[in-house]
Amino acid sequence: MSEAGEILLQATGVAKTFGGLKAVDDVSFSLRSGIITTLVGPNGAGKTTLFNLMTGHLIPDRGEVTWLGQSILGLPHWKIARLGIGRSFQDLKLFANMTVAENIETVTERGSWLWQPGGRPARQARREKLEAVLAATGLAPKRNARAVDLAYAERKFLSLARIMASGARLWLLDEPASGLDPGSYQSFLALLRQQVREGVTICIIEHNLDIVQGISDRIAFLDQGRLLAEGDPKTILSDPALAAIYFGERAV
Amino acid sequence: MWAYFINLAVLISINAILAVTLNFILGYAGIFSIAHALFFGVGAYTATFVAMKFGAGFLTATAAGMLLAALISLALALPALRVRGEYFVAASLGLQMLAVTIFTEWKSVTGGIGGLTNIPPARLFGFAVTQPEHFLLLSLLALGLIVLVIRALVRSSFGRSLKAIRDDETAAWAYGKNVAIIKTTAVVVSSALAAVAGSLYAFYLSFINVESFVLDTSIQLMAMVIIGGTATLLGPLIGTVLILLLPAALSYLPYLPVTEIGSIQQIVYGLAMVLLMIYRPGGLWGFQDAPPSSKSGTA
Repeated sequence: MSEAGEILLQATGVAKTFGGLKAVDDVSFSLRSGIITTLVGPNGAGKTTLFNLMTGHLIPDRGEVTWLGQSILGLPHWKIARLGIGRSFQDLKLFANMTVAENIETVTERGSWLWQPGGRPARQARREKLEAVLAATGLAPKRNARAVDLAYAERKFLSLARIMASGARLWLLDEPASGLDPGSYQSFLALLRQQVREGVTICIIEHNLDIVQGISDRIAFLDQGRLLAEGDPKTILSDPALAAIYFGERAV
Repeated sequence: MWAYFINLAVLISINAILAVTLNFILGYAGIFSIAHALFFGVGAYTATFVAMKFGAGFLTATAAGMLLAALISLALALPALRVRGEYFVAASLGLQMLAVTIFTEWKSVTGGIGGLTNIPPARLFGFAVTQPEHFLLLSLLALGLIVLVIRALVRSSFGRSLKAIRDDETAAWAYGKNVAIIKTTAVVVSSALAAVAGSLYAFYLSFINVESFVLDTSIQLMAMVIIGGTATLLGPLIGTVLILLLPAALSYLPYLPVTEIGSIQQIVYGLAMVLLMIYRPGGLWGFQDAPPSSKSGTA
């Protein structure tokens, strides 16, 4: 368990409607630094939409999103990314035809032009970062393999490697552990804990309650676009009303 | 015979410039433009215009063509690249058709269907390049320079950003890439460099007309890139050589009536494309650049 610090990202009263569907309905939610917060809830609860609203991939119909107290509403998502908000995707969205090393290198490069700022020291720092990330994710032996040729667990780790290399302070991870075998899951968990110790803040979307229990410092429970409860794992997971919703019985 | 080979070599190097610059956006950035012949044409007409009206030398005329091609491509890219790939194909097709109309109708500048004749020879540092051998040297030099520029670009962070955008645009945005600006830049660079081929072509033939800059040219260029291997440096060069040598090679086959070569050529292209799609989806040279999975464990 880690101690929560300052509020990094805050959503206040955000709402998003697709046609007639209220995907996210008046959700207020904050992510505090130094901990792992888990977003749980049944399919279609609005978890991924909430991620999209926080990262600028979608613009909320109503409400406010702030990063370190400053509004980021309406900023293009590449600028929001550069503030230090990184995300992974449920379908990973790796750069499939690039090598593992290139997938990592390209996110360490802030500029997109011929030369990177900072000259040789910066290049050295990027190279060290690449090596560190490859080592931490166990992908060093696969550095020259194309992402598309990797095994499933390796792809998941590459998606983590990419977010790690981006230097993001807040990681929004969309079902990062789904489909991992127990061995890979343990190293995945250790990796996240190590990152949190090093100052990263994490928010995870997760379905599997065993994983939720093992990983969360804090849980937010979403259903039908609404934030039903938020608190420490024990309280949330032992709430019979939430369990009933989660396991498919509609609460009254 | 010698003159024939020199002529073929000049045409190959000019087309190779077009294939290499098209590959830069098609292979590395995943931007399917069918307007590449348009920028070839803009380079040719502009260089001719500047040379005939103002007596400009090769470098000035080429620079003028590059500048105009860059500006036109910017006007195309800015709106068209904000939308997803399929729309760019449609937008570039529309622009290609529009360009053919302008090339045909703007008679005072392009000479209409009849084209422009008596284009003066290329002047370079005070010398007129009239010998075909010298012109071949000039085209090869231009091709070499352009390949080096493209090579530097694709191996830089710019190239990595392009490939990232090609592979997943959403993820590229999410990792801080300004996708719209990067794609626009790629299109502008590619179009400006394609204009160099246009300038060379006009000065070499001393005659140009709209026939060289039509949709068929754009499609043939695309075939060169895809057959040779997209997103590789050598692929487009190989594709260009193969496609330009094919008619020449067919004409050497005995029992083949000369009048039928055109249609047989089309059959061979079609067959080659289908076979490639089945057996070599990365193009003839494609597998070399992309590391095969069997090698990945040893690195």
